[in-house]
Amino acid sequence: MFKKLEIFQMASAMARHAETRQAMTARNIANADTPGYKASDLASFSDTYKQHTGGIAMRGTRSGHISETGAFNPAAIPIAGKGSESPNGNNVSLEAEMMKSVEIGGHHKRAMAIYNSSLGILRTSLGRR
Amino acid sequence: MNELATIRQLATSGMEAQAARLRHVSENIANTDTPGYHRKTASFEEVIQAGQQTGKVKIGQVELDRSELTRIFDPGHPLADESGHYDGSNVDLVIEIADAREAQRSYEANLKMFDQASKMSASLLELLRK
Repeated sequence: MFKKLEIFQMASAMARHAETRQAMTARNIANADTPGYKASDLASFSDTYKQHTGGIAMRGTRSGHISETGAFNPAAIPIAGKGSESPNGNNVSLEAEMMKSVEIGGHHKRAMAIYNSSLGILRTSLGRR
Repeated sequence: MNELATIRQLATSGMEAQAARLRHVSENIANTDTPGYHRKTASFEEVIQAGQQTGKVKIGQVELDRSELTRIFDPGHPLADESGHYDGSNVDLVIEIADAREAQRSYEANLKMFDQASKMSASLLELLRK
């Protein structure tokens, strides 16, 4: 039931995006000393989400319509990191990755807060506390 | 949730690799004065399972540094040759300390990632309360 509400959909998509991006950051950090390893990153949530739902995509407005029901898949567009390359061909910058990880943690927290407060509104409308 | 478990696995593999690297560094430092000791080096490589890159990291084959051993002048040493020299080790303490510090930094970074993933899953589970 909650899946149909766009705000829940968006919050869970944002949380999933944050998780996937965090996994990529973890991968970069684990391989910070692997020769020849290239850092990778995800496109920002707004870009990914827009591509998935907005713009030219078709929308189902009636039950009979064929709509794009593919699950939001944030792993779709990995882009190369921008760090400078060290002599062994590795371009992971630990500082940049740490900053990114904290930022992603904030995004995840925000998604959780949105989900939680929407749930609160829903509960209030049901007349329970 | 699955991704969060992956993060922890990745961070753990990173920590294991850095710990192994630190062990080789301490072996080298312990053997600084061992005659004829070649410094051990090991580089990292990505773990490939079933032909696919998992993103995990492991420590590769241990190799010996083939650079020249230092010649130490000490005619009284039992290993000394006619000229009074003997082969020391090729360990450079400055390099080892720098390497140890780098390993420590990377270990900390991995630990922070583990921590971050734990916080994220905790906040996810927090939704179930109430």
